[in-house]
Amino acid sequence: MTGTRLLLTVALLCSCTQLLADANSWWSLAMNPVQRPEMYIIGAQPVCSQLPGLSPGQRKLCQLYQEHMVYIGEGAKNAIKECQYQFRQRRWNCSTVDNTSVFGRVMKIGSRETAFTYAVSAAGVVNAISRACREGELSTCGCSRTARPKDLPRDWLWGGCGDNVEYGYRFAKEFVDAREREKNYAKGSEEQARTLMNLQNNEAGRRAVYKLADVACKCHGVSGSCSLKTCWLQLADFRKVGDLLKEKYDSAAAMRISRKGKLELVNNRFNSPTQEDLVYIDPSPDYCLRNETTGSLGTQGRLCNKTSEGMDGCELMCCGRGYDQFKSIQVERCHCKFHWCCFVKCKKCTEIVDQYVCK
Amino acid sequence: MSTKKLCIVGGILLSFPRHRLSSGGLMVTPSPTTAMHYMSIKCVDVRKNHHKTKWLMPWGPNQCEKIRDLDEAMSRQIEANDIVFAVHIPLPKKEMSPWFQFILVILQLDIAFKKNNEIITLDVSLAYRDDMFGEWKEMAHAIETRKLKCSFASPKTIEHEGRHYDCDALTFMEIGTVAHKFYLLNIRLPVNERKQINVGIGEIKDVRLVSIHQNGGFTKVWFAMKTFLTPSIFIIMVWYWRRITMMTRAPVLLEKVIFALGISMTFINIPVEWFSIGFDWTWMLLFGDIRQGLFYAMLLSFWIIFCGEHMMDQNERNRLSGYWKQVGPIAVGAFCLFIFDMCERGVQLKNPFYSIWTTDVGTELAMAFIIVAGICLCLYFLFLCFMVFQVFRNISGKQSSLPAMSQVRRLHYEGLIFRFKFLMLITLACAAMTIIFFIVSQVTEGHWKWGDFTVQGNSAFFTGIYGMWNLYVFGLMFLYAPSHKNYGEDQSNGDLGVSSGEELQLTTTITHVDGPTEVYKLARKEAQE
Repeated sequence: MTGTRLLLTVALLCSCTQLLADANSWWSLAMNPVQRPEMYIIGAQPVCSQLPGLSPGQRKLCQLYQEHMVYIGEGAKNAIKECQYQFRQRRWNCSTVDNTSVFGRVMKIGSRETAFTYAVSAAGVVNAISRACREGELSTCGCSRTARPKDLPRDWLWGGCGDNVEYGYRFAKEFVDAREREKNYAKGSEEQARTLMNLQNNEAGRRAVYKLADVACKCHGVSGSCSLKTCWLQLADFRKVGDLLKEKYDSAAAMRISRKGKLELVNNRFNSPTQEDLVYIDPSPDYCLRNETTGSLGTQGRLCNKTSEGMDGCELMCCGRGYDQFKSIQVERCHCKFHWCCFVKCKKCTEIVDQYVCK
Repeated sequence: MSTKKLCIVGGILLSFPRHRLSSGGLMVTPSPTTAMHYMSIKCVDVRKNHHKTKWLMPWGPNQCEKIRDLDEAMSRQIEANDIVFAVHIPLPKKEMSPWFQFILVILQLDIAFKKNNEIITLDVSLAYRDDMFGEWKEMAHAIETRKLKCSFASPKTIEHEGRHYDCDALTFMEIGTVAHKFYLLNIRLPVNERKQINVGIGEIKDVRLVSIHQNGGFTKVWFAMKTFLTPSIFIIMVWYWRRITMMTRAPVLLEKVIFALGISMTFINIPVEWFSIGFDWTWMLLFGDIRQGLFYAMLLSFWIIFCGEHMMDQNERNRLSGYWKQVGPIAVGAFCLFIFDMCERGVQLKNPFYSIWTTDVGTELAMAFIIVAGICLCLYFLFLCFMVFQVFRNISGKQSSLPAMSQVRRLHYEGLIFRFKFLMLITLACAAMTIIFFIVSQVTEGHWKWGDFTVQGNSAFFTGIYGMWNLYVFGLMFLYAPSHKNYGEDQSNGDLGVSSGEELQLTTTITHVDGPTEVYKLARKEAQE
């Protein structure tokens, strides 16, 4: 599956440069490995200008918080992986197109899919920054609310370290939303609608991480009783965040811009979305066929499941165009004997399976 | 003491803990403890034989040869026995301090695949140093086993491959003083096919640690509080005992018990913790537990004896042996908890990685101790409730016959009833406050995520409750000290009520000037009538 996707991506990269969108995005940090901070400390300035896809505001943040960039890249990478996992059985499978715009022109459309992508990538940044913060990789977080490394030891001695998920949330808000905040569009315009949509979806993604982080506690009073109890926040598996956002994707609300410059529901019968919900303003394009104006890649060449009646079933996936069948040999590891690390002795079990590919 | 004075004193005493809870706790005290996360760095021990201990540092100068993940180890054909999980406490650019009082470390494993064998064997060593570039000195080394309890939340299908098991956090280490600035943990998971060690623990992705320590700020506030409370309780105790020795009779049991309560409160108050700042006294945690245990045992005994001495029946008590049935369970329960604590924290003095819960025998033993202590506590409360019930029954019996009594006896009984009800009220209030704050601090954990309020409230809970019980003991000694006014020469004629008007006497003791027998004679006469 992954192999196929990779092949597909490579093939697309080669053949369809015309699909490249003009808009760059910070998502590209996921594609171009960001250098580790210790490597560019000497020539600090150029790095941020060399990074593609950053908006002016983001570039400024990059200069202020250089060491964060690696983790933003990691977060974006995770987010893309999660997006591709969640959409592996859909017509649009979150495939990346190139290294600068990442997802291609489809993101120009304010569709449900775009909403999900924005949310999951914002979530990825919160997750990655919080994690890095927890491990003491970032000098500006962990112990003190304000970024004053000089006072840090004193704060740490006095009251311990602050909540790193909160830091992750705040930083992600600054960084991810910077792009939307620096633009000024006329009230009620299409562009403003899109900006508002992006902001809402970014927030929903960040909140998903915060909401799913659970509190772990440990009792350690007299004789191990619970008179003293220490709690800390534990980040959830990113897969769980993906699952939650996928649910939000399924229940996303269609919005339109009002004359006052606010987003309002297209259908008033529904409840208006909360800050945790995803919203979209445009209908999804047709992902069945390759379309260069929308940026859709089409489902040709995708694997499908003959027996399934869901989105991954050949009927729906191939949009009624039919499918080719071929046999492939799958080699699986079985009857494994392994240690916790570095030692696995397995038998190889081969199986011949039928696979189906959309025409 | 007159009712008016009593009200004033009571009002002042009551306003104190509230004030401390609201202002002292919330503003000054930071949260009591902090948890820090550590992701262990996977180091490769490149030496051929691992006999000589060598410390592997996760970062900084002289850091070890790292691998990013265990797949890399697989491709480089590194053996499991050569991999060392290294954790440096604290995080870079910070240092530990004696103000942190203790470190408790919890181990969390990220496991991808798992078989049924649930025992994990860890070869752990702990080292310390006091300057960034010094030599590491070994502090402890042990081979420990822990039971893994893991569950897999989602169905085991291909789709969920790559998800981790949810494993319960394991208690890993506890040290009672933080005398050094830097600590280093090296954890190995040795594999031995022949002895079936670590063969079935699954594929370990990561080893994470959470270390918990007390906050320096909280420690300071706590110490200051103790240092302030010690002399106040001590002075009132000395005053109280002087009042008693001033009398011509020997002190009665109740007075002795109150005095003992004062001693145990002082004992718990004495800020010996100050020494932990300068000395490496690892037994401080254990000592603190013992002190607390002594105080609880004393407080519980006091309640029983107080009830018994206000029973107003014909039995002569005034001896500790008369209460063996009630005090016995307290002693047994306290002893059980003491043994349990010795088994856990006592052994941890030698081996900080030890836990009684890791072996089956140990778990059963620990459970046995706790269950016995629990049964004793239940027995105690049954006794206490029964006694309180009896006292109230007697009180209602006495109240009906009060008008018919002579003035001396009436005042005596009214005094008894009044002071019993007074203490009942205060005790109930204190206990209710404690329980409410305890429940609040336990329940609010779910809302912990949103803001800092509960965390701060938690430390307010500690200082507040601690201060409240200090005031309780203070108040007991202050209010229940025998009055020197009433024990003048004019006492012999029994004109008790005249000197202080018609007010009730809180400080009337069971005994009279002539000794305890007088009252019991009275009581007996009453009973015979």
